[in-house]
Amino acid sequence: MPDDDLRRTILNMLQGVEHPREKAVDVMYLLQRQYGYLCDEALVVGAELLGMTPLELEELATFYDFIYRRPVGKYVIHVCDGVVCWMHHEDDIFRHLCARLGVRPGETTADGLFTVLPTVCIGDCDKAPAMLVNGRFYGPLTPGRVDEILETLRSGDEERVLCP
Amino acid sequence: MPLKPDFEPVLFKNRRGDRPATFDEYRQGGGYEALLATVGKKSPEEVVRMVTAAGLTGRGGAGFPTGRKWAGVPASAPYPRYVQPNTDEMEPGTFKDRILVNADPHLVIEGIILCAYAVKAQRGIFFIRPSYESDAQLIERELAVARAAGFLGSGILGSDFSFELSVHRSAGRYICGEATAQVNAIQGLRPNPVKAPGAHLTEAGLWGRPTVVNNVETLASVPHILTRGPEWYKSLAATPTGDGTKLYCVSGKVARPGCYELPMGTRLSDIIYEHAGGMLPGGTFKACLPGGASTAFMPETLFDIPMDFPSLKAVGHHLGTASMIVFDKNTCLLAATINIIRFFVRESCGWCTPCREGLPVILDILERIEAGEAGEADVAWLETMTRQLHHAYCAFAPGAAAPIEGLLRHFRDEVMDHLDGRGCPFGAPELADKPGAWHLPKGGRP
Amino acid sequence: MSRKPEEASCRLTIDGREIVVAADTPVIDAAERLGIMIPRFCYHPALGAVGACRMCAVKFLDGPVKGLQMSCMVGARDGMVVSTTNPEAVDFRRQVVEWLMANHPHDCPVCDEGGHCLLQDETISGGHALRRYRGPKRTYRDQDLGPFVAHEMNRCIHCYRCARFYQEVAGGRDYGVLSIARRTYFGRYEGGRLESPFAGNIIDLCPTGTLTDKPSRYRARRWDLERGPSVCLHCSLGCGLTVGARYREVMKLEARLNPEVNGHFICDRGRYGFGYESRPDRPRQPRVDGRETIAGAALAALAEGLKPFEAGKVAMVGGTRSNLETLAALLGLCRDQGWRPPVFFRDARLAGAAESAAAALSGDLVASLADVGRADVILVVCADPLAEAPMLALSLRRAARRGAAVLVLDHRPCDLPCEAERLTFAPQELAGCLSRLAHAALRGRKEAAAYLSSLPLPPDLLPETALALDTWGKRLAEARFPLVVCGTDQAEPTLPALAGGLARLLAGSHDQDRRAGFLPLLPGPNGLAAALAGGGDLEALLADIEDGRATALLVVESDLLSRTPEPERWLAALRKLKLLAVCDHLPSPLLEAAHVVLPSRTVFEAGGHFVNQEGRLQRAMPVFSPGLPMGRTLREGHPPRLFMSCAPGSEPRPAADWLKDLAGLLGAGGRAGDWADLAAAFPGLPGLAAGPAPENGRRCLPETAPGADAPSVAKTGSPDVPPDHLQVLLVERTFGTEELSCRAPLLAASAPEPWVDLAAADAGKAGLAHGAWLLVPLPGGPLRARLRVHQDMAPGLLLLPRDPRLLWQRLAGTGVLVELLRLHAITAEEEPAGEDTTLEAEP
Repeated sequence: MPDDDLRRTILNMLQGVEHPREKAVDVMYLLQRQYGYLCDEALVVGAELLGMTPLELEELATFYDFIYRRPVGKYVIHVCDGVVCWMHHEDDIFRHLCARLGVRPGETTADGLFTVLPTVCIGDCDKAPAMLVNGRFYGPLTPGRVDEILETLRSGDEERVLCP
Repeated sequence: MPLKPDFEPVLFKNRRGDRPATFDEYRQGGGYEALLATVGKKSPEEVVRMVTAAGLTGRGGAGFPTGRKWAGVPASAPYPRYVQPNTDEMEPGTFKDRILVNADPHLVIEGIILCAYAVKAQRGIFFIRPSYESDAQLIERELAVARAAGFLGSGILGSDFSFELSVHRSAGRYICGEATAQVNAIQGLRPNPVKAPGAHLTEAGLWGRPTVVNNVETLASVPHILTRGPEWYKSLAATPTGDGTKLYCVSGKVARPGCYELPMGTRLSDIIYEHAGGMLPGGTFKACLPGGASTAFMPETLFDIPMDFPSLKAVGHHLGTASMIVFDKNTCLLAATINIIRFFVRESCGWCTPCREGLPVILDILERIEAGEAGEADVAWLETMTRQLHHAYCAFAPGAAAPIEGLLRHFRDEVMDHLDGRGCPFGAPELADKPGAWHLPKGGRP
Repeated sequence: MSRKPEEASCRLTIDGREIVVAADTPVIDAAERLGIMIPRFCYHPALGAVGACRMCAVKFLDGPVKGLQMSCMVGARDGMVVSTTNPEAVDFRRQVVEWLMANHPHDCPVCDEGGHCLLQDETISGGHALRRYRGPKRTYRDQDLGPFVAHEMNRCIHCYRCARFYQEVAGGRDYGVLSIARRTYFGRYEGGRLESPFAGNIIDLCPTGTLTDKPSRYRARRWDLERGPSVCLHCSLGCGLTVGARYREVMKLEARLNPEVNGHFICDRGRYGFGYESRPDRPRQPRVDGRETIAGAALAALAEGLKPFEAGKVAMVGGTRSNLETLAALLGLCRDQGWRPPVFFRDARLAGAAESAAAALSGDLVASLADVGRADVILVVCADPLAEAPMLALSLRRAARRGAAVLVLDHRPCDLPCEAERLTFAPQELAGCLSRLAHAALRGRKEAAAYLSSLPLPPDLLPETALALDTWGKRLAEARFPLVVCGTDQAEPTLPALAGGLARLLAGSHDQDRRAGFLPLLPGPNGLAAALAGGGDLEALLADIEDGRATALLVVESDLLSRTPEPERWLAALRKLKLLAVCDHLPSPLLEAAHVVLPSRTVFEAGGHFVNQEGRLQRAMPVFSPGLPMGRTLREGHPPRLFMSCAPGSEPRPAADWLKDLAGLLGAGGRAGDWADLAAAFPGLPGLAAGPAPENGRRCLPETAPGADAPSVAKTGSPDVPPDHLQVLLVERTFGTEELSCRAPLLAASAPEPWVDLAAADAGKAGLAHGAWLLVPLPGGPLRARLRVHQDMAPGLLLLPRDPRLLWQRLAGTGVLVELLRLHAITAEEEPAGEDTTLEAEP
């Protein structure tokens, strides 16, 4: 169950809002942050707080790609596979990243730290090839730079621009 | 054609490169003067008239005249009314809104407030894509500053004009950039586009109320138009058909990819060679997508075209978001097209048949051509299906059709070279072996 | 979407033929009127145009719109020239089908939709035969959507009809659209029964085999079915049905379009309420004194048995589920033989309410279900639409979605699939509240003076309640098309007359082009005809039997023992009868007590006419001949090795025929029983004289009501309820209580667990929680049921559904009170395990 703080945060957010559904994405983000991903329990709680049915919230949750309905790692690595990054050998970067982490696209490392997801153009084309990890852009990438970034993330030093 | 010697950036006036301009810096540069000179001093109708006179066109991709859009809110329309600054920016190759918001957030905020004043809106909802989370946080910080300064909230500058502006975080998906889909998204509905004959968002948008959806670059031009006048703004353009300045994104195989503010109508060749540093060493220009992934490949023959909406339209192309994705002669454009169609297949909202079912079939054919498994009949079928994408529900599938059409129109031979077991003439199925971005010579980037 | 006062018409040309239609009519509809069926998947007249499938593309050659366009999305305009056969349009449509078929599993041989599949039809007619797509097909996992709807997502072509109906039309919130792009999925959050009582319509709407009828799965192809138009008997609305039968049993029912009644849809009670026609315990053989016999012998025995009786001691009980032919024969028999007037209603209150509703109805005032969707202010008095007439709830939702304001005045926690204001009052207060509202609506109207002075005094009301009633009164007075709905199941006898009177005066206040409407709900599919026929009530008859004033009883298609709250008293009374004859197709304990049993045919076998609550005469066609279902004879092994000219179990005859033959034997002489006789039996329905019903029925009410201007209103007093006592009220539910459908095996097996309702204030006083198991001390013994607690329900009541699975007949009388504090929740250990709580359908 979400802790009382989160419940209060969500209820405060919905306080006096004329159309609570407007906050559906924000509520899903909050729950996702607490649970690590939008698990079934989180979705049902979110729907209840929003006055929606689980189906109605699921209709939204399954539409969006930044709502994770399956478990993800602490760091979700969104590798841009837009055409600009593709031109700059994004696929090699992607292969390198997967090989280094020992996962396939969409999988999470055994230590629960990283999930690798191919993602539509993230809007960092002037630094292609690029990727996005928990709200921060990294680019231009080289295999060596990818290794450095993984090290920094592992050490936990990286300042996170949290997803909301 | 070099820039006029007196050209100075307008939208990027306060761009610093290392950090966003602060409220004070913005004010020192004349920021919020337009608002001070407008609220309570000019009528909303006057603002609409000036924006119309300036010929400001929408920078989100469609190029619709902004003044006309604002005038579409009927005088008798009910309240509350909404302004919806669109920072979804998910067109591949496009990053100008991110650069703009990061350079000068208050310019954008002032533009939004002026728009709200013009259409008598009470609430603004800043729609921001999830990968721009840092920008969302920046905007939220700066909104608080603007509010503290009395530029937002109730009774702005002592007038009876009240306006609240907040951020709506999206959770992704390209289709959310489409105005009607975005209206659904904000209301917590599935973001499918909505088309009803005779229905306009300016009459019935968010919660059935008048809603003006504008790209943030468009809105950022408004303070300058109001301060320095429509004539001045028009004169900024390089062509008589253009208006003001434009943020051009350049990416791909150029030496200095980036976002450049230039007179609207600057020639493609100038943008690439004068500003983006020319092609990467060893590369030769082959083609470019002039306005993101949903525009058609433009060949070398159009290298000198002025980059504004009417000029491109005249030769059957679209300026779109003016985000030039530049390809060199070593890149297989068919493979590039496959990458782009994969994007469209994945991002289709699933509403109509051509988009949901047609694009995957098209992708399958493209992949078969690339793999050498296809023949001429397949190319003919591909061409037919691509034409038929234009009868889809919204502009998404026609956008997906554009690169294929450009490919078949200007680079047909390259496609035919793949047929009947030959496969990709560029070698590897995806991309030829050539220097990658990480082999850039020193100083290759700004 | 308000209609313009004058709808402009326009002339357009489609495939070289001109047609004049109202401007903005979708071109796809205009073409259909010319007999040109433009292919379509997502478009449906009841759902509107959304342009999703792109299948209805046509070429606009000239006029205000040009080029290839979707004919559903373009409204007709003057001068349009449209080609449906233009090569560009044909090619595009062929391509759309090819795209849709790219992922289709091509499993037509095992698909129940095969043979009536729109996707098959459009694939063939669209000319797509050669498959060019060579890639892999998408596959989905299906969900269990409950007992009625089978789900096969791989067949889906994503037309969105199901989700649009479910959410927009029916207001359901548990089925919708999930995921995105080519993975788009139609389903629920997780597997489970679809909650909407209108869910079955998605089967009819689905243009493919994605959503099919689960009970009839793999049992018949469309072309195997004997099909025919029929009328739903599960409430008084008379929705149109298409019956599909095979092997002497009904396989499935589908909605039949009747624009003024149900439109394209029906409720699940109507769709799955069949099956009583093939029950193993259905009476199929005539019986005399418990011995099976043949028809002639049974009739002769009955006629012979009736002869010694004094005419005044012979009573007849009829049912409102009988067809008009049966009711006419029954009325004729009573009249010709001089027997007591027939009895149709369970008690005097219901008979009074039905009669007062019928008397208030007239052609100029009555509203159809379609009218409900056109009204802008709707007052619902003493009716629980979802329980008593589910399709009314759908029409209310349609009205609300078009902006109508809906007020429900009732004592029950009426659940509605739309926005509505609820004001709750005790049943006996409703007339007074209506009076307050009527005073506000008709204030200062001279012609209303007589009506207003006849109204009872309003009860003491809270200021905000009084204000709300006044506001709604004004709203009704100012409405463009005000409509009053009034139930009869729970109403005081005078209430429908008051409601009808209000509607009549609201109509009078309007200009020529304005109108008002009155829609009463009546007990049973032929409740209006029965109410117009008048007669006594069962309570009075029971007393007469007990006192020996009635000694012979003929019961025709009325389920009196399982519908009475006093079964023991009835059983004792029946034993006093010298002759009891029963003519029915439902099994009941009454049959065991009967001296003569005459098995009748169901509506599926006999057909017949029914007059719904708006006086609309409608006809059900006989769809198949009665007989033991083949499935049953085969399950017992080989089909019977008998050579007979008729099928086994085919003895049941239409009840009307039994009665007419009986009349012949009794020497009524010469009555041919033709249509003129039938019409003459119901002088209150003058329209019957015009003959049998046309396809969509015909209104038969007189144009004005005889007693319309001065409703005779007797003031009602409130029952004496001591403090801290609850009045037990028997109520209807969507599923499980209606007379016929509670005998339907499909619904009986799947109806939600029955529950009792209590107002939150009462539950609080007794310390009872929502969802608790409750022990209710009733005179006939304790009753256990799950409790539901409601905020929006009148206090002082305990609502008990007439669900045979509950032991509600332990009520052992009417007007029963229970002490609030004697209700108590039972502990987990005491919680019954299944059969303890429920009673088998037949005692």
